[in-house]
Parts: sequence; C-alpha cells; structure tokens
Amino acid sequence: MQRASRLKRELQMLSTEPPPGITCWQTEERIDDLRAQIVGGVGTPYEGGIFSLEVKIPERYPFEPPNIRFLTPIYHPNIDNSGRICHDALKLPPKGAWKPSLNISTVLTSIQLLMAEPNPDDPLMADISSEFKYNKYLFTEKAKKWTQEHAIQTNKGVVEDNKENAPDQKLSSRKRDALCSQQEAEEPLKRPCV
Amino acid sequence: MEGSDSVEQGGGDQPESQRRRQLDRLDREEAFYQFVNNLSDEDYRLMRDNNLLGNPGEVTEDELFNRLQQIKDGPEQPQNNNPSTENTEDPVETPESSEDSQGGDSLLDWLNTVRRTGNTTRTGHRGNQSWRAVSQTNPNSGDFRFSLEISVNRNLAEQQAAAEGEQGPSEQPPAGQEEEEVADPEPQVPMETEVVEEPVVEELAVIVEPEPEETPEEEVASQEVVEEPPSPPPPPPPAPVVAEASPEQPPPCSSPRRGQRRPRSRSPEPRRTRARLARSRSPLRLDQLDGIPGPRHTYGSQSPSSSTDTPPVPQVEGSSRTRQHILSRQSPADDNVHPPSVEAESIPEAQNVRPQEGEPNGNEGGSAERRPPTIMLDLQVRRVRPGEYRQRDSIASRTRSRSQNSNNTFLYESERGGFRRTFSRSERAGVRTYVSTIRIPIRRISDAGLGEATSMALQSMIRQIMTGFGELGYLMDSDSDSSDSNRGTGTPADTESLTNPDASNADASAADEQPSVAAAAAGARERTVETDVDEGLTTGPQASGGRARLRPPINLEEPSSLPFLRLAHFFLLNDDDDDQPQGLTKEQIDNLSMRNFGESDALKTCSVCITEYAEGNKLRKLPCSHEYHVHCIDRWLSENSTCPICRRAVLVSANRESVI
Repeated sequence: MQRASRLKRELQMLSTEPPPGITCWQTEERIDDLRAQIVGGVGTPYEGGIFSLEVKIPERYPFEPPNIRFLTPIYHPNIDNSGRICHDALKLPPKGAWKPSLNISTVLTSIQLLMAEPNPDDPLMADISSEFKYNKYLFTEKAKKWTQEHAIQTNKGVVEDNKENAPDQKLSSRKRDALCSQQEAEEPLKRPCV
Repeated sequence: MEGSDSVEQGGGDQPESQRRRQLDRLDREEAFYQFVNNLSDEDYRLMRDNNLLGNPGEVTEDELFNRLQQIKDGPEQPQNNNPSTENTEDPVETPESSEDSQGGDSLLDWLNTVRRTGNTTRTGHRGNQSWRAVSQTNPNSGDFRFSLEISVNRNLAEQQAAAEGEQGPSEQPPAGQEEEEVADPEPQVPMETEVVEEPVVEELAVIVEPEPEETPEEEVASQEVVEEPPSPPPPPPPAPVVAEASPEQPPPCSSPRRGQRRPRSRSPEPRRTRARLARSRSPLRLDQLDGIPGPRHTYGSQSPSSSTDTPPVPQVEGSSRTRQHILSRQSPADDNVHPPSVEAESIPEAQNVRPQEGEPNGNEGGSAERRPPTIMLDLQVRRVRPGEYRQRDSIASRTRSRSQNSNNTFLYESERGGFRRTFSRSERAGVRTYVSTIRIPIRRISDAGLGEATSMALQSMIRQIMTGFGELGYLMDSDSDSSDSNRGTGTPADTESLTNPDASNADASAADEQPSVAAAAAGARERTVETDVDEGLTTGPQASGGRARLRPPINLEEPSSLPFLRLAHFFLLNDDDDDQPQGLTKEQIDNLSMRNFGESDALKTCSVCITEYAEGNKLRKLPCSHEYHVHCIDRWLSENSTCPICRRAVLVSANRESVI
C-alpha cells in the first residue's frame, strides 16, 4: 500500500543511518529491488566475509514482508542453497512474525543476528542443522571454509587454513556448484521448514 | 508496479522514465491520502468496503472521486454490483490467456470482480490440465456462485504407469521442474492400450453457504444459479462420476436416479468452450434444503439440475476401450447411488459425470482418448446479514465420522470454526467417487465486505477447498518418484501421506488438515503428496491387479500452471494449517476507536507507512493504545488480528486464541 512513499523513507534512513555492519541500496533505480550486504559478525564463522543479499519488495509491502535471500553462498542451518532464509520475521503471521512496523533495516539486522545465532530447531537445511547441534566443530570449520571461499573478496585478510583452500578454490567452488544443483534437485525432501 | 526481475529492460532513458513514473506515483499517493482524509467516515467505510480505494498511488484522485460517486449512486446493491467494474462479460471466454496472469492475486481479484459484475466464465488450460471457472451472481439476493472445474488428463500418468519400467519418471516432471509441458504423450500412446482405463472419478464440491441457522427469508430469496453441466455433444467417455456427498435433497429432488452420473460429454477436441456455453442456469432450490444440517444443502442446487440436463447415456468415445470402461464405471456408480448403507444424509450420489475436457495433449488421437478426471469446485456464496452467525462462529468444532469400509463407502463430517466439511468416498468396481463438501459461513465475507477483507475471506474459503484437495493431493502435485508409487500399491511413504480417508475420518477434525500440512512440510515448492486413496479399498473389484496401475499419480505439472492451484499451493505452503480466521471483520474493525489527529498531539508517526501524522488525519487506536492511520491499520487488520507494534491481539475476547 504505502509502498512507494514508505520505501522512499526507508531508503533514506538506510543511507543516512544504516545499522552497523549492514548496507542496503537500490539497484538501478528500482525501488522494489534492493541489494544489501551484511558483514559477518566477529566471533562467528562468518567473520571477515561480506554477504550480499537480494531484497525484493512485494507489491503489498509493508503488509507483506520483503523477500530476502542471500546471494552469497553461506553455510548455515537456516539458509538453503539458493539463499532462502528461514526466519520468522520474513513470514506473515500466524506462522511468521512479520508486522508492518518492522522494516528493511530491522529485518536485515535480525538476519545478521540469525547468522550469529543459528536456530537449529527450525532448520531449513537438516544436515547442516544436525551438524550444528552435534558436531559444532565440524560445522564451524565448514562454515568458515564457505565464508572463505565465497564471502571474502580478497584473500589477504584471511589467514586461517588458507593453505588448503587457496590452491583448489576453483575446484571447490565447482564442486559446490555441483553440490548445489544436486541438492536443489532433492530439495523438497530436505526442507522441513517451509 | 515494477516487475521483480532486475533485468535491465531498456536503454539509457529507462531510469529516467522510471523515475518519472515513481514520482507520479508519489504524487498520486499524496493525493490519495488527502482524499482519504477528506472523506467522511461513512464515505470512507463505503469505499473501503467496496474495495474502491485500491492502493495509494494506483489511481488518481479524480478516479477515486468518481468511484465514490458511483458507489453512492447505486446504494442498493452496494456490494455486488459495482458499476465501475469493467467486465461484465457474460460468458466470455478467455481461452488460455487468463491463467498466465500473476497468480494468486489475480485470481482473487478476479473473484472479487466477479462478485460484483455478475456472470463470468473463464477457462484455460495448460499442459494436461484444463479448467473452467464460471461465476454467477444474483444481483437481487447477492448470492454468488462460483464453480471451478478442473480436468486433468491422466493420459500421461497412465501411460507412464503402463510404461513403467521402461520409461521411468522421466516424463513426469519431477517435482521440481516447473515448466515442463506435459503435452506430448504421443510416444507412449501405444502403451496405453494395455492400461486399463482409470475409472476414478473425483469431484470436489465446495459450497459456501450460510449456516443452517440462516434466516429462512434470506434463503428463499436467494436463487442460486446453477451451473449446468454442459449437456451435449457427443458424449465422450463419461468420466468421472461425481458423487455428491450431499444427500440429496429431500424427496422431491432426490430420486436416486438423478444422482447418477450423467455422462457429461465433451468432445475432447473442441475444448470446453461450447460446453460452457451450453450451461444453463436453473434456479436453485436451496430453500428446501435449509435447516437441514449436513450435506443436505450442498447439493441441492446442483445435482438436480445437472442430472437433468445431462443425458445419462455415456456415449462411445473413440476407443473401444473407453467404452468398456464406461460400462464398468456406470455400474459402480449406480451402486453407489443406491447403497443402503450410506446414511440417509450422506448418500453419495453420483452426480455429474464429467468427461474430460478435451485436452489438447490428449492428442493421442481419438482412439487413445481417455477421460481425465475432473475436479469440480462448486462454491456458492450467499449473502447473509452481518452478525447473523455469530453464535455459529463460537461453536466448537464437532466432528463426526463414520466409515463403512465394508462398502468402501465412508462419510466423514467435521465441523469446526464454522466450517463444515463433509467428505465421502465410495468405491465400486474400480470406480472411486469422492465428494467433498465444505460449507463456509459467509458471514465472514459479508461482514468483511468487499474490501481487502474479502480477499481474505476468499482465501480462507479457497484454503478450505484446497484442503479438500489435499486429500486428493495427487491431483495437484506430481510425485517425484511417481514411477514407484505407480506400480506398488503404494510405497510406505505414500500410504502415510495419503490422507487416507479412513484414517482421517477417524481422527478429529484435525485430520482434514493433515494432508495439506503434510504436504507443506514435505516440500518446498513441490509438494509431492501421493495421495493414493486407493489403499483403503481392498474391496474394489478391479482392485486386484490393475489397481496400482490404474492410479498413477496424476501429474499436474507445476501447480502453478493453474492459477487456482497455484493459489492453493500458496496457501498450503504459507498458511498455517489452521482454519482459524486471522483477520478481523469489518465490523470488528469499525468498532475500534477512531479520531482525528490534532495539532495538540505529540508528534507521532504511523508505523505502518512511516509517515508522520498530519493535521486532520484519521487515526485508529487499538486497545493497546497504539495508533495508526485508519487506512493503514484497517488493511492490516483485515488480514491479521494483532497490533503491528506490540502484537497484542486486537480483540480481547476473540474466540480465536490470541496470536502472539
């Protein structure tokens, strides 16, 4: 409804006082297709990474939540291979918790929080989730690795286990694509959280 | 507004023009607010209820003003006939185009339009599905009837089943592949021969009608238009026998015969157009039915008329095979009609036979022709005065179920939250008949008016409908591993998800929802619910060998290909399984206090539109003391029941539990 004017205001706010670690801007003059970046939180496996997100504003915004997904691959129990996010603020009640008094900025902030604190009890990626629960070390390592591979633009900043990664980065990303597509195919089975 | 794709469409001037458009829109939005603020309460309500306000920025102020004038000029039929609406098409046929539209919203929009404009017919088809929607409005009574018939060409699926080993699932688009058109079965045609024709008939009837308590007058007044089965042409294979759960109306109309399926013939090729035209309307006599709880009402209208119209004799279709089927089919149907076992109220009658709509992809040529199952939704809405059903709403859910497995007939009734739903199934000689009737109190609709609330009301109806479909889930979704399920009696998984009617009846009302829930859980966009209802029936004559084969899951390509199904998909995936109403009714909203913003107020901002209040703005204050622009909050409340800021339930004593 109030979409245009509200978005205008929101964008203004986002550019003047963006939440820490988050940027969001308009692409190509379209008000309904935004891009955002979230900086991986310190102390999380995503540290050092910059994650891009796509923010699409539905026609009925703010009565419907924005559609947000990760463009940058991320290894996270609540985010699937195509970047979709399982997060209650992104869904309408009663299932979700979207309300018109939320806005893009707050939602992005809560996504940032979700990155820091995955919610394995409402998993989108069942295997990652159980890994998170029962083998946190492995999870952390993998998540770091993914961050390393996909979310870090320059390798300089990252010191950790680069040895292995750097050489076969291409390889692994190819591997991941394959993995992705394969997983995508069986997606229906894998996504308990819809 | 702008599409969502980020593809760059044009040259360099693109951004410029876009910016200009946005500016225009902003101007119009300003004008909109101004306009709304200047409206009197009464006018505001009038416009809101008739859904004339639209979105800010959508139309110009002048247009809004015109609408207001129009609506004022024709007060007698405020809600139904909105002069301003464009299409008054009578049976206009929009062949395939209609379904391409954006999907859910467009369908809702269309439904809204239909309510206002009278009679409309739409059809479309894609892949192996074809659909026809007919709506009729009786301006006098405000009754509204909507029927949707979907037919699915099973050929593909069956063929596959036949081809089983060799072909594998390849043809059937696995769940994920949306775009695949199912249209070309030819290669497999040969296989078909072996396949026994699928006698299954499914029909789902949904009737929305006022609760029984309804005042007699109203009911009488209403004449429903009956959607007639197309009578005519060369009767192809009588396809699905539709049994209506509704016990037929009382004696007068309910001779069993009528119930029999009338083979509705449609020749495949011509597509349903003519059939559509052929429809006649007959006045319903629901009145007789009134007062009778249960299935009774349901069909009053339809069955009698339909039965009459259609010639009972199924004609021969192209192939000899078909004929045979017909025979077999019929007999079972008759049986169904007569079975003593069924409760009086719930005698399933075979009502309509809907032969397939000719699907193009049935193209194997006449010989191969098979009638696809047809799903028919019949939605009747009658206007009820607001408040009338209050008590009804508070009625706790009741569920009754009976199953008579011996007969392969069972009836399941549940009532909850004002929705009464009956489901019955019977199987004879390999003919399965499903009838699902859902009654939804219309109160919600009339209370809510035509505003956004309506779409919500419609959504809930449709959701109910789709819940019904859940039971016939295989109609909606393709199973990714269909090949497996085809041949076996059903993989374990199938069985579970199958909303086995038997199982479900036994359960409380919750059972209804199960299918959908399960489905939702199952998969992301593609639910692969294999609802093979077969399992329950061991008794079916043909059951033995053929059965598994007989019922290959139907493969509707992507649910989204059919607007209606897409909608369903949406609901199933996004809505909670609960039919608990979410929005407030118009009345409830109006009961909330409203005031004008005055200078003296501390500066505040509406958190819905993030705009500061201006002098003269109308604000609505929720019980939690949070305030919003009237037009902002009303829209939210029409679909939700909590405060956008604190999430407290707006209705304290709501019979729904307060949502957190």
